[in-house]
Amino acid sequence: MAHEMWTEERPPEDFYRILDPNGELQTDPPELDEEELLKLYRTFIATRILEEKMLNMQRSGEVSLVARTLGEEATPLGCAAALQPDDWIFYTYRQTPALLYWKLPMVEVIASATGREPETIAEQVDTEDTPVNFSPDYTPIGTNVVNGVGAAMTDAFNDRDTVTMVFTGDGSTSQGAFHDGMNFAGVFDVPAVIVCQNNQWAISEPAHRQTGSETFAQKADAYGLPSARVDGNDVFAVYETARTAVERARSGNGATFIECVTYRMGAHNTSDNPNRYRDDSEQRAYWEDRDPVDRYETYLRDQGILEDDTEAELRDGINDQVDDAVERVRSISTSEPERMFDTILHGESWRERHQRAELHRELNDMNPFVDFTGEGFDE
Amino acid sequence: MSNDLDTELDTDETAIDPQETETINLITAVNRTLHQEMDRDESIRLLGYDIGPLGGVYRGTEGLLAEFGDKRVIDTPLSENGIIGTAVGMAMRGERPVPEIQFMGFFYPAFGQFMYAVVKMYKRTGGALELPMTIRIPYGGGVKALEYHQESTETYFIHTPGVRVICASTPAQTKGLLAASIRTVDPVIFLEPKKIYRGVDEPVPTAAYTLPLNKARIVQTGSDVTVLTWGAMVQQAQAAATDVDADVEIVDLRSLSPLDIETILDSVSKTGRCVVFHEARRTLGLGAELSALINEYALDRLKAPIKRATGYDVHFPGHDIEDDYLPDDDRVRYAIEAVMSYEF
Repeated sequence: MAHEMWTEERPPEDFYRILDPNGELQTDPPELDEEELLKLYRTFIATRILEEKMLNMQRSGEVSLVARTLGEEATPLGCAAALQPDDWIFYTYRQTPALLYWKLPMVEVIASATGREPETIAEQVDTEDTPVNFSPDYTPIGTNVVNGVGAAMTDAFNDRDTVTMVFTGDGSTSQGAFHDGMNFAGVFDVPAVIVCQNNQWAISEPAHRQTGSETFAQKADAYGLPSARVDGNDVFAVYETARTAVERARSGNGATFIECVTYRMGAHNTSDNPNRYRDDSEQRAYWEDRDPVDRYETYLRDQGILEDDTEAELRDGINDQVDDAVERVRSISTSEPERMFDTILHGESWRERHQRAELHRELNDMNPFVDFTGEGFDE
Repeated sequence: MSNDLDTELDTDETAIDPQETETINLITAVNRTLHQEMDRDESIRLLGYDIGPLGGVYRGTEGLLAEFGDKRVIDTPLSENGIIGTAVGMAMRGERPVPEIQFMGFFYPAFGQFMYAVVKMYKRTGGALELPMTIRIPYGGGVKALEYHQESTETYFIHTPGVRVICASTPAQTKGLLAASIRTVDPVIFLEPKKIYRGVDEPVPTAAYTLPLNKARIVQTGSDVTVLTWGAMVQQAQAAATDVDADVEIVDLRSLSPLDIETILDSVSKTGRCVVFHEARRTLGLGAELSALINEYALDRLKAPIKRATGYDVHFPGHDIEDDYLPDDDRVRYAIEAVMSYEF
């Protein structure tokens, strides 16, 4: 059966860029010392190794679903690196570099993909305080924009200099919640940075099916927010733009919207088959030439900051860290069935008590329907 | 995090001191409660539209902007999803937002935030993140309003785990239940029967107090038939009870979710007859669940089938015939007479 395929349109490339696809500077780089530059590189590599590992775990059935950041890493990385300790990140999926940059333990990243009940993970994984605060991850797109803006409203009202960064994608901008959040952000001048990680695909739909606007950045105009549009595969451009936006927010001048133009190199997630809807052989070659890690690595090598032995050492360290995290995830037990009743409301209602007992009986081969008085079960 | 919910759930109703009262109506009770709670706890913010200079279309927030300023009484864009979503963000940062949805029929745009965040955040974080927020919503008909200003769609909330659904029926009940809702760590949908916002004055303690969020209230005891009801219908049930040849027990549910099933079953087991009385449509209205519960756990105590005196399964009708849609003391009286006349 013949399938119609989407025709891709390349977005305009008149965006802000510091490091070109060949790893050459077009303008001055950000003021980052060698240690900071290597931290960015390390996070790039850690993301690729971790997500590759998770992909393999998905194939073997150990984790339920994986949405990789492949090809988009510079966007969440550059944005997150512009924050300071105590700031907040409201994220969805495909922001793994932001999590790792701010030291969210890999065991938490992997565990959350195992599909286990959250209480089971919370009990068996020692959560560590991260330098920045992370919201819970969000699955329904757009939802986090409004929540992040609400959180930032408390900072504005309490005169705190905390900044909230919210990640969305191209598809998210079609949601009412995106509009709601942007609108409140503009009205209340909140200290937030809202990032559109435009990877040009929302599962099977290309960006031009999400909007009639020429760019996503221009949407900010309607909300009275300043915006920027950057090469999302250039970690320097992303970082510099985000840093300016974060400073603006921190100094009480309100929110900024940043469109980072990148490309989803892989499938939407491990349940997706992009061959059904996109024939991206040509696009793929184009975007591979613009890979965010390759160009950054070229730059670091040209600068003499990265050499073969330091890279090998760094990769070995990350591999060990990933292996350790995987082992810890494997040690998490599966959930007791009654966990489904946990942490719904505080205090136990009649209904909860009764249904727990019903489930308990069913699990123990006893009839759960034999209470005819509401007084419970005689066991 | 602190969890003093259990003590609040079990608040002794005798804590209401009848010596120091003021005679006020239900909307004034809302206003007094918001005022006192905001005085008590700086982390409480009100959000909604028209709640600032106007003081709310029903004046529930009158005077609060002047008292607490525009950072705590926040007139928002006309966006229910934005109101609920930003309130979630505030609760995530340790505050206690009290958003207002102007009419129940305007809640629908907020269902995204309600389902994805309000009711789920505590569960999906394995208990790490509590969302203390009280969503105030005027509900119900009988006020000759336009479409979407009259409905009683509590079923949507009740069907959803992770939220308490509370409904007050008198000024004194309103004050205690609203204060308890604001103080609890769970998200609460707080339904206000707008038809009786100004219908009835009663003495209400001037001091702050809470009422239990997990206990139904026996409005009057009786031995022949139990009427299960809440909100604006409680008064109508009381009126009907004086006009029937039966000793009627009236139970004001107060908490529509979770239900105080013990009180419900005890009452029906005692009387052997039951009428459920609500404004909402009948099919899958709360009456359906109540009837099923009694059938499951007290069938052999019943002397008659359970009857549901409710709204019909239609869209809320226009002004000219809304009185014919709404259940009233006549409809509940017929239902009481029917179950009293039934013989197995």
